[in-house]
Amino acid sequence: MTRYALTRLGLLLLGLVVASVLIFLTLRVLPGDVAQQIAGTNSTPEQVAAIRERLGLDVPLTTQYAQWIGGLLMGDLGASLVTGTPVAAELAAKAQVTVPLGLMSMAVALLIALPFGILAALRRGRADGTLLSFGAQTLAAVPVVWAGMMLVVVFAVWLGWLPAQGFPRDGWREPGRALASLVLPAVTIGVVEGAMLMRFVRSATLAAMGQDFVRTAAAKGLTRRAALLRHGLPTVGLSIISVLGLQVAGIVVGAVVIEQLFTLPGIGRMLVADVGLRDLPKVQGELLTLTAVVLVVGFVVDLVHRGLDPRQREAS
Amino acid sequence: MLRRTALSAAALLAAGTLVLAGCTGGADPAPSATVGTSNPDASVSIRLVLEPSNLDIRQTAGISLDQTLIDNVYQGLVARTAEGEITDSLASSHEVSADGLTYTFTLREGVVFHDGQPLTPQDVVSSLTTRQATPAWADSERLANVASIAADGQTITVTLTQPDSALLWNLTGRAGIILKEGDTVDYNTAANGTGPFRLANWRQGASLTLERNDAYWGDAAQVADVTFDFIPDNQAAINAALAGEIDVIVGFDANLADQVEAGGDFAVQTGSATDKSVLAMNSTSGALADPRVREAIRTAIDHDAIVEAVGAGQTLFGPIPEPDPGYEDLSDVVAYDPEAARALLSEAGVDDLTLTLTIPSAYDSTLPQILVSNLNDVGIDLQVDPVDFGTWLSDVYTNKDYELSVVNHAEPRDFENWADPDYYFTYDNPEVQELYAQSLAATDEAAASDLLAQAARIVSEDHAADWLYNWASVVAVATNVSGMPVDNVNARIDLAEIAKSDG
Repeated sequence: MTRYALTRLGLLLLGLVVASVLIFLTLRVLPGDVAQQIAGTNSTPEQVAAIRERLGLDVPLTTQYAQWIGGLLMGDLGASLVTGTPVAAELAAKAQVTVPLGLMSMAVALLIALPFGILAALRRGRADGTLLSFGAQTLAAVPVVWAGMMLVVVFAVWLGWLPAQGFPRDGWREPGRALASLVLPAVTIGVVEGAMLMRFVRSATLAAMGQDFVRTAAAKGLTRRAALLRHGLPTVGLSIISVLGLQVAGIVVGAVVIEQLFTLPGIGRMLVADVGLRDLPKVQGELLTLTAVVLVVGFVVDLVHRGLDPRQREAS
Repeated sequence: MLRRTALSAAALLAAGTLVLAGCTGGADPAPSATVGTSNPDASVSIRLVLEPSNLDIRQTAGISLDQTLIDNVYQGLVARTAEGEITDSLASSHEVSADGLTYTFTLREGVVFHDGQPLTPQDVVSSLTTRQATPAWADSERLANVASIAADGQTITVTLTQPDSALLWNLTGRAGIILKEGDTVDYNTAANGTGPFRLANWRQGASLTLERNDAYWGDAAQVADVTFDFIPDNQAAINAALAGEIDVIVGFDANLADQVEAGGDFAVQTGSATDKSVLAMNSTSGALADPRVREAIRTAIDHDAIVEAVGAGQTLFGPIPEPDPGYEDLSDVVAYDPEAARALLSEAGVDDLTLTLTIPSAYDSTLPQILVSNLNDVGIDLQVDPVDFGTWLSDVYTNKDYELSVVNHAEPRDFENWADPDYYFTYDNPEVQELYAQSLAATDEAAASDLLAQAARIVSEDHAADWLYNWASVVAVATNVSGMPVDNVNARIDLAEIAKSDG
């Protein structure tokens, strides 16, 4: 187990180094620069050059990369070229929106996926089971933007129960309003993600139902449903933990779109704005942090999976 | 259906406000009915599409800074009305000498900055001289003709090296903003001005809030605070308005008026705007170097159909829009005539022409679709290449690496770009440059605009570009809000008169 964990940790670190290089280089391929953005369209080339120099953009790429990595090793994610605000502080501020949004989306996704996925498996071959699978497939194909718009029209414009957009000016100092403003966005992401997850839960459940120990339990007199619930679900749970790791990436992508639609001041919206401005040091810090989150979640999931699953533990 | 409407609406709207940055327009408190008495404790929420990237009014370009901060937070010696008339602001009066070389301003007494420091004549001198001496700051070149700035008591004297008919106008914009000398405020994220509102809260990625400045030298603002909510998506903005979360939608899509007016709580108002949707043509090489090809393109475009599709605005056939000095109806220069366009192309010996239109991706697809179809009619294959604004800035604006491009130029009085051969328009005509220089040097307003009109006609007759249409300024305003400016809100939004009743 220790050796496995250490190998896995080595892979995680290697992944981060590769990601840092890729992020740095791909961003440099983008045409345009932040100096031109700041100077705008009534600017002279001299004005742009002066800004570029002030921002330190005229140094070679290798030096820029070295400066960035050097800062990272000292725990410094750098600062925005446009506002001078530290990237870490910005991320922390925006995470107060995106992290709760992600957790709520995940909760909605699970609330949909688990019961309906298991039900769809139990009802396989019957009309209601087919209908559930079909419904999941349809929902998973719904564009997030459209789903969000429909929810807003019904729950914000017609019924007036929830805010249509935005986040309270005072943030979590108004917990009720903050929470309310995240409900529709979270449901929007959660429904679409949940529909995708449901198909996975269904197939994992079907696989579990076909396993020897479930069949044995059924042979000993338990109903198929009881055998599944008592003996099969733990293995379903394990596979779902792995998939949840992947869901994190899906939710980050969903947040980019949803935060835009609902004008939520979160990480997704910040990322879109910073790419548009070509505030590259900031984008680098943001992307690397997001990559690290996804990689670390994957790392933890793998360890948990291995720790919980007796079959994998014995194998090592 | 809803989705399609929403998406096209969002794109159109973004297009409406993705504008070239710079010194810009006027604001006009439009007459709108006040229902009930206004509530001095009210909060007004205004939707904008674009948000500032930072708040540094000195050196960061971008129309959203002008929209939110100029007039409201920062002020100059002079300001401008919606009609483009120059009025006194921090100066209580001003005078221009007959030779146009000496400008004398009387500075108001008792003006204090938002942090409590008094406004001194020395602040004015330092603001203007620093601006002029710092080329990296926006619009610093607009003070190029200034020889000296001096203060004697409350009298500020600006002396010029040569007459400059645009100087007062320029002083109403970025170039004329008065800041506290040696101020230590972090201009990136904070502000310290003299206006009727002070900056209360900027939440990046969401909103910017201004609150009433109770120590204001003029009439106090009539609301406690105003929040600009940055909502890029048009349908999301309508939903927010219908849900009662915002009071005003700026940059409204006129095609959606029924949707927002249906409940009776909003009215859509249309004002004039100086926004010009310019189809730039790179005339340095290829087929576009031939004026007959450029004329053919202009003749092939159905401008009336464009105005109809956009739902607001009017046709424009030259570089100067109606609200600006030097405007003249140039519709005699080109008329929609596909037959004539085909004839021009064959006269130029061009067939099987393929052109690429580079356009910011935030723009709605309506314009490119009409252009593709119009040009296809006369045998030109138009490829549309949508790029993000950063790419547009580098490829089209800086490197002039394009054939055709469409961008909305929002700034009023920006004829200078046609007199600048290095601008991305690639238009180089010494006669136009000379006329423009003469217009600047004119000491008589009528003479100055007459010279501009002559120059503008030449630009249009050279088919230097096509002007797809002159935008309108469209706002949806809640019926309990009054004093919301309507003209030119794509450029500047003066909140001095805005009021809200509880009714």
